[in-house]
Amino acid sequence: MVKGGGLMKQVVFNKSLLQYLACPLSKEPLRYCEKSQELVSDAIGVAYPIIDGIPCLKPMRGRIIDSSKAEPSSAK
Amino acid sequence: MGSSRRSLGLLRNAVARGGRAWCSSSRRLLASVSDSEFSGLDVTGDRNVDIFDRALKSKQRDRAAWLMRDSDPVLDTVTENLIDRLQDCKRTFPKALNLGGAFDAVRRLLQGRGGIQELISMDISEDMIRRSMIKAAEDETAGRMGSMQNFHLVGDEEYLPLQPNSLDLVISSLGLHWVNDLPGAMSQCRTALKPDGLFLATMFGGETLRELRISCTVAQMELEGGVSPRVSPLAQVRDAGNLLTRAGFALPTVDVDEITVRYPSATELIEHLRSMGETNAVRERMLTVKRDTALRTAAVYQEMFGESDGTIPATYQVIYMAGWSPDVSQQRPKRRGSATVSFDDLHKAFTPEASKKSPDDGPGGNLKQEVPTEDKEEPGTGDSKPETDGTTTRLPSGTWYKIE
Repeated sequence: MVKGGGLMKQVVFNKSLLQYLACPLSKEPLRYCEKSQELVSDAIGVAYPIIDGIPCLKPMRGRIIDSSKAEPSSAK
Repeated sequence: MGSSRRSLGLLRNAVARGGRAWCSSSRRLLASVSDSEFSGLDVTGDRNVDIFDRALKSKQRDRAAWLMRDSDPVLDTVTENLIDRLQDCKRTFPKALNLGGAFDAVRRLLQGRGGIQELISMDISEDMIRRSMIKAAEDETAGRMGSMQNFHLVGDEEYLPLQPNSLDLVISSLGLHWVNDLPGAMSQCRTALKPDGLFLATMFGGETLRELRISCTVAQMELEGGVSPRVSPLAQVRDAGNLLTRAGFALPTVDVDEITVRYPSATELIEHLRSMGETNAVRERMLTVKRDTALRTAAVYQEMFGESDGTIPATYQVIYMAGWSPDVSQQRPKRRGSATVSFDDLHKAFTPEASKKSPDDGPGGNLKQEVPTEDKEEPGTGDSKPETDGTTTRLPSGTWYKIE
């Protein structure tokens, strides 16, 4: 990653970030699921992954968990 | 709008040493193509404007994360100028969002300016964020970050994942020129800002890489008979102000700067663009570059723009934009019909008879008395130097009013 640098030590998601974060599509607050390391947007039924402690809130990385609520090609 | 030319001198080909890094990152690129296997939300389908391929831009920035050195002169210059503007207001901004582009340069160069306590850095590329996290951790252990807390997240500027009314400042250094729906993105920034929050951004403007664009066009017309976009469409300066008002910002300000960088040849220019993550991601581009066309482009560039010492210049036009999210405390024009002084009164105050009534009034007096005093102090000031106190300039009073 960085020339000469070692591997990044395991970083845990910083929960104090949750007060600022929102779902990129619905702008509703997110719920942190520690077991599956995901940020869940209950409003539209989508879960966004947390990779190496970094939340990845891009729509294309969202996983639909409740297809009754989610609209696959939802507008912004 | 001020404009100045600065030449950063020769940029050596120092970035191309990442040969091995490039091989491993190309393996990563192939691996990450499986992105599309995620049952993610497909949101590109119903967009009106889709000039830039955001997934490709993300991968280009991943590659740039490997190619980048610790600092880049162009990005650092622009970022330093942008952060300077933070100091122009006395306010502090405890919570700030740092959007894409040269966000690591922002994090590194801030050094406590603007009173930022929590800095959330966001970019579309995971590798860029990871690199920045490592650098931030290093800076923190070395004590260079001061009391500022760093957060990182991966996100798309077009789908801002921040709650409304949560931020004091949104700062974006050279990130927004790859965004498809720019008014929409800026609108979302305004929503995320608290009232009276600041939005500061720089983008590359229409004159950027003018020489490259011209050379590519000439070479393609000669050899291929057609033209495909090689330099992405960039915002014009005249549009920047409209963009800010359209997004709902109050008190918009725009200014322009031009940086000229000289390279030994076109190859170094392309290497530099790659290491900044600024290579072409326009959807309609031709996917291959023919070798002959590339060579002809370099030759045309040298012919048309080459300087006497063999180097070629490249222009980077940077547009600085600033806007405030609306708040009742900001100045606004008074309601129509609420004036208490008429133009007749003002005219009477400024005509020479009025000046005799109020001889030596201090500068703290009201406007009616101040102006006649000026006239007596500087008679016949046709082209005297304008009075300045460092930040504002007043016109010589001789030319200011001469109502006969």
